[in-house]
Amino acid sequence: MLRPAFEAETTPRAAPGLYVSFPFCRQKCTYCNFASGVFSQDLRRRYVTALAAEAAASDTLDRADTLYLGGGTPSLLTGEELDEILGGRRREWAEATVEAAPGDVTEEAARLWRERGIDRVSLGVQSFDRRVAAAAGRKHSAEQVEQEISILRRAGVERISVDLIAGLAHQKEADWEESLDWIERLEVEHASVYMLDADDDSRLGAEIRSEGGRYGARDVPSDDQTADFYERAIERLAAMGLEHYEISNFARPGCESAHNLKYWTFAPYVGVGSDAHSFDGAERWNNARMASEYVARWERGELAAAERETLDAVRRRQDRLLTGLRLRAGAPLEPGDLDGREEALEQLLQKGWVERPEPQRLRLTSSGVLFANEVFLELLFE
Amino acid sequence: MDLAHIRNFSIIAHIDHGKSTLADRLIQLTGALTEREMQAQVLDSMDLERERGITIKAQTVRLLYQAKDGETYQLNLIDTPGHVDFSYEVSRSLAACEGALLVVDAAQGVEAQTLANTYLALEHDLEIVPVLNKIDLPAAEPERIKEQIESSIGLDASEAVMISAKSGLGVPDVLEAIVKRIPPPKGEPDAPLRALIFDSWYDAYRGVIILARIVDGAIRMGMKMKLYAAGKVFEVEGLGYRTPKHIPTDELVAGEVGWIIGNIKEVSDAKVGDTICDAENPPSGALPGFEETKPMVFAGLYPVEAHQHGELRDALEKLRLNDSSFLFEPESSIALGFGFRCGFLGLLHMEIVQERLEREFGLDLITTAPGVRYRVHLTDGKMIEVDNPSRWPEPQKINKIEEPVYEVTVLTQDEYLGGILALLEEKRGQQKKFEYVGGDRVMLTYEVPLNEIVLDFYDRLKTVSRGYASVDYHFSGYWTSPMVKLDILVAGEPVDALSIITHKEQAHDRGKILIGRFKKLIPRQMFEVALQAAIGNKIVARDNISAIRKNVLAKCYGGDISRKRKLLDKQKEGKRRMKRVGRVDIPQEAFLAVLSVGDDE
Repeated sequence: MLRPAFEAETTPRAAPGLYVSFPFCRQKCTYCNFASGVFSQDLRRRYVTALAAEAAASDTLDRADTLYLGGGTPSLLTGEELDEILGGRRREWAEATVEAAPGDVTEEAARLWRERGIDRVSLGVQSFDRRVAAAAGRKHSAEQVEQEISILRRAGVERISVDLIAGLAHQKEADWEESLDWIERLEVEHASVYMLDADDDSRLGAEIRSEGGRYGARDVPSDDQTADFYERAIERLAAMGLEHYEISNFARPGCESAHNLKYWTFAPYVGVGSDAHSFDGAERWNNARMASEYVARWERGELAAAERETLDAVRRRQDRLLTGLRLRAGAPLEPGDLDGREEALEQLLQKGWVERPEPQRLRLTSSGVLFANEVFLELLFE
Repeated sequence: MDLAHIRNFSIIAHIDHGKSTLADRLIQLTGALTEREMQAQVLDSMDLERERGITIKAQTVRLLYQAKDGETYQLNLIDTPGHVDFSYEVSRSLAACEGALLVVDAAQGVEAQTLANTYLALEHDLEIVPVLNKIDLPAAEPERIKEQIESSIGLDASEAVMISAKSGLGVPDVLEAIVKRIPPPKGEPDAPLRALIFDSWYDAYRGVIILARIVDGAIRMGMKMKLYAAGKVFEVEGLGYRTPKHIPTDELVAGEVGWIIGNIKEVSDAKVGDTICDAENPPSGALPGFEETKPMVFAGLYPVEAHQHGELRDALEKLRLNDSSFLFEPESSIALGFGFRCGFLGLLHMEIVQERLEREFGLDLITTAPGVRYRVHLTDGKMIEVDNPSRWPEPQKINKIEEPVYEVTVLTQDEYLGGILALLEEKRGQQKKFEYVGGDRVMLTYEVPLNEIVLDFYDRLKTVSRGYASVDYHFSGYWTSPMVKLDILVAGEPVDALSIITHKEQAHDRGKILIGRFKKLIPRQMFEVALQAAIGNKIVARDNISAIRKNVLAKCYGGDISRKRKLLDKQKEGKRRMKRVGRVDIPQEAFLAVLSVGDDE
C-alpha cells in the first residue's frame, strides 16, 4: 500500500499541475453542484479568450507537468479552442486528462485530443443503467460508453477512467452491480466513485431537502444504502485489480491520476478559468466562481484571482493532513502535527478508524474511510 | 364634579368588533383631542397591544360632554383588558364602573369572549347598553343580532344604539345613552377616602402609576395614602386624569377616576384590587373584592445562548416591576442549561411576556412545554403544589393528584360541531351545557382540565372550526385525576427539559409523539440510540435511531481544499452547539422543535 513516491516535494521548483476549467455543458445534471451549466455562445467565446489570456500570463503552460481539463464538459472544446487555450503548444505531458461526457467521444475528438498530447480521458458515466443515468440528466447507454471506449483505445488513449455516483435516484443494488460489471468488462485503468450528498447546491439535493418529488428525489437510496453501494464498490473494484488509493479513487497500480495526486500530496497546482483553485505551497487562491463574473473581471482588466489566502501554521497543518489522510497510503507526519490531540488520536486508534503503519505515518483504516470527516474533525479542527 | 354629573363606563367588545374605533370617535366628538392629535386607536399604547388588537393594560379617558339637557357631564371611559387571562383585572375595572357599552358587530354577532365579559359586568350590577356597530356594512343583520343578544345574554336589545364607529354614524346617540341610561356613581363625598386600584404599572421616570376610582371621600396632593393590602404608606406626589393627554389636578373626588403617583418603587405594592385610604383618617374597612392573582400556567424559559442567562434574569426583573402577576425562579436543566421557571396568568400572558423579552430585551428564548400547578396529596398526608415536572414526587409517595379544571364556553355554528365535540372529548372535557342560541349558533359549556387547554387546544379548535368558534374560559375547580410524569430518555438518560405531566391514559400517545419528533431531529450518532418514553421505570413507548453509516466527503471537489475545509468547519461548529445528554449530542433546534407543540399527531 505504501507509495512514498507520491509525496512530491513542495518547493518552488517542483513542477505544478495545470487545471483548466471549462464550465460549459449541454445540459446541467441534477446532481451537479458546480458553477457549470448551459451558457450562451457569446459567453463561451469571451470565456475562451479570457481563459487563454490567463493561461498565457504565467509560465505555467510550460512549467506544468500535468494538465487536467475539467468541467463542466471540456469534451465540448473544439480543436481551435484547445489551441487557443494551450497557446498552440503540442507538448508532451507527464499526464494530460480531459473530462468527457459520454456522447462526446467521437473519432475526431479522440484524434484532436491525442494530437495535443492528451493521453487520459475521464468519462463521466455516473451510472451504466439507462434509467438512473436519464434521471440524473444523462442520455447515454452502456453500449454507447463501450463503443466510445473502443474509439479511445483505437486512437491510442491508454488511460481511461470512469466516474460512478452512488446514491442517484432510482439506484438499486442490481443496477449498481451491473455498473460495476461494466467497469470490469471495459477493463478501465481507473475509476472514481462518489457519493451523492444532498446539499442545496445541486437541483437534486435541494429537491431532496425540500422534500419535493422532481428529479426522482423521492426515489433516492437512503444514506445507508449509499454507504452499502460504496462498500460494495470497494470490494468489487479491488477484486478486479483497481486498488483503492484515495477515498473516492481506484486504479491499477501505476495508473493513479498524477494530476489529482498533487492535490493530496500538498504539491503545487495552478487552476485557470472560473472557479479554478490554485496552490503554490504557501498560498491558496481561486478565481471568480461564475463564468460570467470571471469573464467580466478579465474584461475590466482585473486580476482573475478573486480570493487569496496565505496559510498560517495551523491551516498548513490542517490542509496537509486533511488532504494527505484522504490517501489510503496515509499522510506523513511532521513533528508537532498531533500535539494536543493525543487523547483524540488514542480514541480513534481504539475505534479502529486510523492506524500508524510506521511512527511517522497516519492513515485511515478501511472501516475509517467512511468516517473520514469524524477523524478530520477530531484531529484537525478546533 | 358632583356625583350626578359623572358617568363611569367601559366598553365590552370582541376583537375587531370596533371598540377602539368607537373610543376614538367618542374622544373626537367631545373635543378632547384636536384632529391633529388624533392618532388611530389612541388607547392601546403598547406596540404589542396595537399589533394584536387587544388591550393588556387598562386605560382611562375623561371626556367632558355637553348633553342635550344642557348640562355638562364628566364621562370616564375605563378601557378594560380584553382577554380572559386577565379576568381579575377585568373584574376590577368593571367594579370601577356603573355601566358598560356592549359593542357587537352587526354582521358577526355575539362571540364567547363578549359573552363572558358581559356576564362579568352583570355580576357587578352594571347597566349594559347594547350597541350594534358596523350597521352600514352590506352583511349587517341588526335584527338577527338583536335577537341573538336577547337569547344568548337575556338582555333587552330593543333599544340598542345603531352605529357605524368608522363613519361616525349614530355615535352622538351613544353619548346621550351613556348619560341617560348609565346611573351616576354612588359614594360618600364626605366619608374617609376609599379608592379602588384597578390598574398599576411601573414607569421608569415616575415610579408606579396607579389608576384608581375614588369611591368615597377625596384624594389630595400631599396626602399620606395607605395601600391597604400592602400595608405601606406613601405621599401623594401627583394626581391627574387623561383626556387622553395627562392633565394634573390637585384632587380627585368621589365618583371620579384618575391616576395617582407616590414614589412607589414596586408594582407589587400597588396591586390591582387593593384599596387606597387616608393614613391619617382611615375608613372602617377596605373595599371588597381584593384577591391576589395566581399564576395558572407554568413553563421554563431558557436563553438560546447560554451567556445570555444574566441578561434574561435582568429582563425578568425589569418586567416584573411592571407586571406583578408573573412569577419566576431560577431552575437549571441538563439539556438547556440555566433558566427560569415562570408562572403566568394564562397562555396569552405567557406569550406576551415571551414576546416582550424577545422584543424589548433582544433575547432569544427556548420555552419548555407549558404546564399547570397540581395539588399532589402525599401518602404521609401532606399536600404539595407542583408546577415543575422536575419536582414531581416518586409515584409510590403519591396518594392522589388534583388538577385545575376550567369551565370552557365555545360559541360556534352547528356545522363545526362534530369536530369541536370530538376535540373536547379528546381533551377530557365534560359537557355541562349544550344550547342553541338563535339560528345555527350553538353555545357549548364544558369542563376541561387546564393541562389539556395549554397543550394545543386553541390551535386545534381553530383548525376544526376553521376559525368560526370563539372560546372563553375561567377557573372552575379541581378534579382528582391519575396524572403521571412522563420522561423522555435518550440512550437511557432522561432529558429533563422534555419531561411532562400527563394523564395516565394519554402517556403512551404523548410519548410516541414526542419520540417520533425527536427521532427526526436528533442526528444519527456513531452508535444506535434508544429513544424511550417512561413513567418511572415503566417504558410506555420506544423507538431507536440506528447508528450512522458514513460521514465522509466522497465528492469531486478537485483542488478546492478551502471548500472541504469550510464544510468541516461547519460540521465542527454544529457539533459545538449541540447539547450533550449522556453520550448523545442533540442540537438545540431539536429541543426547540420538540417543545413547539404542533398538530402532527
